[in-house]
Amino acid sequence: MAIRDDLITTLTTNLGGHSSFGISSELPYSTSDTPLYLKNLRTVYVDEQQEEVTELFNTLDNNDVLQTETTCTVYLATDAKNQPTDIDTVVANIQLARNGVTAATKSSIVTTELDADIITYNIEFNFITV
Amino acid sequence: MADVINVSAGSQALLALSNVAGLSDVSGGSNAMLVPQLTDITVNNSTGVYRFKTLDNTAESAVTTPATNQITTNLIVDETTFFGDGANTINSVVADGLFGASKNKTEIYFSIGFEGADTGDELLTGKGFISGLAPTVNMDAPVWTTPVTIEVSGDLTNAQQA
Repeated sequence: MAIRDDLITTLTTNLGGHSSFGISSELPYSTSDTPLYLKNLRTVYVDEQQEEVTELFNTLDNNDVLQTETTCTVYLATDAKNQPTDIDTVVANIQLARNGVTAATKSSIVTTELDADIITYNIEFNFITV
Repeated sequence: MADVINVSAGSQALLALSNVAGLSDVSGGSNAMLVPQLTDITVNNSTGVYRFKTLDNTAESAVTTPATNQITTNLIVDETTFFGDGANTINSVVADGLFGASKNKTEIYFSIGFEGADTGDELLTGKGFISGLAPTVNMDAPVWTTPVTIEVSGDLTNAQQA
C-alpha cells in the first residue's frame, strides 16, 4: 500500500505550515456509526487505496504490459459555520500531495458534503502506474 | 471446428531474425533473435497485377506481375532486442538490435512461426530488410512501442519446423 504511505508522507509535509490542522495515519473507520474525521475535525484521514489492474498492451507471447489504476480518498471535516481562514490553502495543499506519488498520470477531485454544521471535503486521488 | 490456428497460449505467433541463413530459428536456438512482446504481426503477400483492355472484350483482362512481400508488426520495445547486446559474434542482429540492423541496412533472414516451434509447425521464411521503425511513447501509455516492417526481398517460403 505504498501510494497511501506516500500520500500521508507528502500530506504531513504540505500541511506543516497549518498548525490548526493535523493528519492521522489511521484509517477513517467509524465508531458509534460516526467516522473518525467527523469526530476529529481539522484532522486529515487517508482511506485505504483501491486498485484496478488492466492490460495496457496485450502481447502475442503473453508478456502483457499491465497498468494499475489506484484510487485513494482523503477526508477532512471542519466547522461549516466558522470555516478556518486558511481552508482554501489547506485543500489546495492536500491536492498537491499527488505530486509526492510516482505515477504516469495523477489527478484529484474535490467534492464537499454538508451535514448539519459540518462540511466534509472528500479529495479523491487517482493514479495510473505501469 | 475448422482447423483454425489459435495463438492465445502465447507460444504460437513467433518472429525470429538473423543475418545468417538458417539461423532464424523460431525455437530461439542457434543464436536467433526471437523478437519478444509482439502486439500484432501481419504478413503481406500482394501479387502485382497489370490490367489491360482489348477491343473484343467487355471486361478488363489481367496478368500478374511479381508480388510485393512485406511483414509488418508492432511491438513493445525491449532494450536488448532494440539496441542489441553488443556482444553476439554469430548473429549481428542480436548484437546490433533492431535499430542497428535497420540503420546498417543489414540483410536479415526471418522465420515466422504460425503455430509455435514444435516439429512440423508451419513457418513462413524469407529475407529482407528492417524498416519503418518509429518508437513512440506518451504518458497515457508510458512504455515505448514501435512498428517494425520487414521489406521482403524475394519470395516468402512455406516450411515446417524441423
